[in-house]
Amino acid sequence: MEGPGAAARGNVTLHNFSARLWEQLVHFHVMRLTDSLFLWVGATPHLRNLSVAMCTRYVSAAGGLWDPIPVSTALLGDMSDTTSTGLAQRLARKTSKQVFVSYNLPNTDSSFTLLVENRIKEEMEAFPEKF
Amino acid sequence: MEGKPLVISKEKTAVVCGVPTQVICTAFSTHILVVVTQFGKMGTLVSLEPSNVTGDVGKPVLTTKVLLGQDEPLIHVFAKNLVAFVSQEAGNRAVLLALAVKDKSMEGVTALKEEIRTCQVW
Repeated sequence: MEGPGAAARGNVTLHNFSARLWEQLVHFHVMRLTDSLFLWVGATPHLRNLSVAMCTRYVSAAGGLWDPIPVSTALLGDMSDTTSTGLAQRLARKTSKQVFVSYNLPNTDSSFTLLVENRIKEEMEAFPEKF
Repeated sequence: MEGKPLVISKEKTAVVCGVPTQVICTAFSTHILVVVTQFGKMGTLVSLEPSNVTGDVGKPVLTTKVLLGQDEPLIHVFAKNLVAFVSQEAGNRAVLLALAVKDKSMEGVTALKEEIRTCQVW
């Protein structure tokens, strides 16, 4: 599936799903690209922020083969809101891909974002080819 | 619970100037996300925002900003030429352009614009 010429065949795939979390209907939109992933989360069709995270190939000062904490940065929107940067970072670590995240839910409570994250991971396990 | 997706996307694969190209357009209420890729990657990420101050002809001026990738003058020109029409047609919505193309030629712009038009989500 990931062989040479995969990009030439056009391997960007889209995937939508939704879930009810704490009485809130949450929508997810996933775009799977070559070695990268775009994920949008929201209840209304807004795009208020965008963050990106990726694993670095540099060894951390603590040593080891791979720096376990991917680097993350906000590209768009409120730079002080760390919800999407944090989510991007954790998903980059899980997938080893470059991950773009746009988190547009008014609830940024950590226990709620954990619920959102777990729902994403559930979907990743059910449909690995979509991520 | 599943129902219709909240954000609408359209995608197309075409050969543009001899290179297989994939175009994906996604409509958000404030932005239109346009992905134009010949490598299957996001590439350079450019934000185009219409300013409140209108130009001479009444069209809002688009402000381009490279969010990720090489910030060279050509990318600003290319991005404006490529997706200014999307912003206008979408009722002056901001456009987020992810561009990964082999070469940024003028013929390329014309051909790519046609492909973007076929993925109209606005």
